[in-house]
Amino acid sequence: MTGRVTPFVLSLMAIAAWAVSLGVLSARPELFAVALPTLLALATLARRAPRPDHSIAREISSNRLFEGGAVTVTVTVAARSPIALIELLGPLPPGSAVLAGRHRAVMTLGAGRTTRWSYEVRLPRRGVHDLGTIAVRVRDRFGLRTWENRHVDPMPLRVYPRVVALRSLPRPVHAQASVGDYVSPALGEGIEPGDIRQFAPGDRIKQVNWRASLRLGQLYVTQRHRERNADIVLMLDTLAEVGAPPETTLDLGVRAAASLATAYLGRKDRVGLISYGGVMNWVRPGSGRVQYERLVDVLLKAEVVFTYVAKDLLRVPPRVLWPQALVIAITPLLDPRFTKAVLDLAARGFDLVVLVVSPVEVTRAALASSPAGDLACRLWTLERRTTLGELRRHGLPVLEWRPPEPLEAALVSARRRRVRLASAG
Amino acid sequence: MRLLAAGSAVALFVLLRLTTPAPAVAVGGLVGLLLAAVAIAAHWRWLATAAGCVFLTGYAAALWVESAPVNIVPALGFGLALFFLLESLDLACCVRGAAIDGGVVQSALRRWIVLGAGAFVAAMLAMALATLFATALPAGASPLLAAAGALGSVWVLAVMIRRAHTGAERT
Repeated sequence: MTGRVTPFVLSLMAIAAWAVSLGVLSARPELFAVALPTLLALATLARRAPRPDHSIAREISSNRLFEGGAVTVTVTVAARSPIALIELLGPLPPGSAVLAGRHRAVMTLGAGRTTRWSYEVRLPRRGVHDLGTIAVRVRDRFGLRTWENRHVDPMPLRVYPRVVALRSLPRPVHAQASVGDYVSPALGEGIEPGDIRQFAPGDRIKQVNWRASLRLGQLYVTQRHRERNADIVLMLDTLAEVGAPPETTLDLGVRAAASLATAYLGRKDRVGLISYGGVMNWVRPGSGRVQYERLVDVLLKAEVVFTYVAKDLLRVPPRVLWPQALVIAITPLLDPRFTKAVLDLAARGFDLVVLVVSPVEVTRAALASSPAGDLACRLWTLERRTTLGELRRHGLPVLEWRPPEPLEAALVSARRRRVRLASAG
Repeated sequence: MRLLAAGSAVALFVLLRLTTPAPAVAVGGLVGLLLAAVAIAAHWRWLATAAGCVFLTGYAAALWVESAPVNIVPALGFGLALFFLLESLDLACCVRGAAIDGGVVQSALRRWIVLGAGAFVAAMLAMALATLFATALPAGASPLLAAAGALGSVWVLAVMIRRAHTGAERT
């Protein structure tokens, strides 16, 4: 605990010295009487003040919530010795706003007294925030001495990206070995009827196709398509972002990635993640609730780290970037290094979908409306149209998401396009 | 808290006007009042100190103009009002934008009452002692003694503050 004499002492000292000086100069004893209360207050400094003894405990109503959610922070202060005035500055993560109450409190406590103070904070941006640090300042009776310290007791609060329910998802071309929701071309156990063939020893009676058997005079069985899952790899561009938090292109990309991960995991697919930026992180494909937590862990920490270095996707282990996986690249296409990586993946034969988070709308929302700004945005839109056209000429399915339109609207076009591609193939 | 500070500033001005009706002193009081108002509105502690110095100068001028017999009680009131102005503004700065426990204001008021009573008792004691020693001291030496006393008290204060600062750092 750091103690110090406050600037208020200097103020009192100045007044006392001025009053005494005027008293001497004017030879009026009343001016000494004027200085008396100030001198008496200053005289309390002569007494060695004991170090204030108190304890602080805090709790938060929830340690995980979605973006835009609110959490109540409750701080309990217990004084073991009398405290004339205690100032507490509660944690307030950057970008958050106090909804109810104040995040700063001032109170007076008698010995053995306990008091509680709480406030509600709204956290609009994803991330892992620490609500465990409280700055404390204790003042003595006249505010002449203060003791300051910080109570640090890590209390992480995880703010998850907002997830939207998605019904139209890009379908993978290749299915994997485990059971899932996709109808595989391979025949075996399943629900979807595929072909019929002659009965063979070992076939079960329930597989017999009675209609075909009666018509053809021999026993025939129905073969069915297997239902298989797929490997999905979400590749998030963290090389560059535009817009104002919490609505930057990266924030929107993270929300899209979280929504896609939730939807694919719900279909029993294995989902992996590559955060492609200044610092590369990846999560190997997996399924289930635990996998969602692993993916969100990386998404929560996703941020733009500036670098001149072009990252090579060859560094990513094959078990993460599985050749038969569907790769969904989520990008604002602001950095040519990501475009190059995407083209590289396409050239290597990956099943690839590019989900472009339009930076034009995001920038327009962040800027004040002006004719010059509107013109710049229109020119930028034309330029981007050329870039997207170039990607499409390489045979890549490019989906453009223009927030605030729903993500589903961008994904619907993918479904139509990929069905057509599959039938053509 | 800001209301208390404003009340103290008004009390200072009224005491100044009661001491002397001289227009020059009233102008000084108005300047002090204006400075105090700005300090209270803007939460500037240094300006409140400046306002206090202006009020003090005005009060000294008023006493000098009037040359009335020594009366300690209004002077003590003036000193208390000055202290309340500075402390309430300091408290107002401290509680600004914070959730305030009801006990804070009560505790401050209790403290001020105790300080007022203590200052009154101390002033009475000082006056009694001064009356006692006034006859014994030579008249020519009194300005020198007063100056030495003032210097000594300021020096003692400085030593106390220094000790308090190092003591607080140790804790």
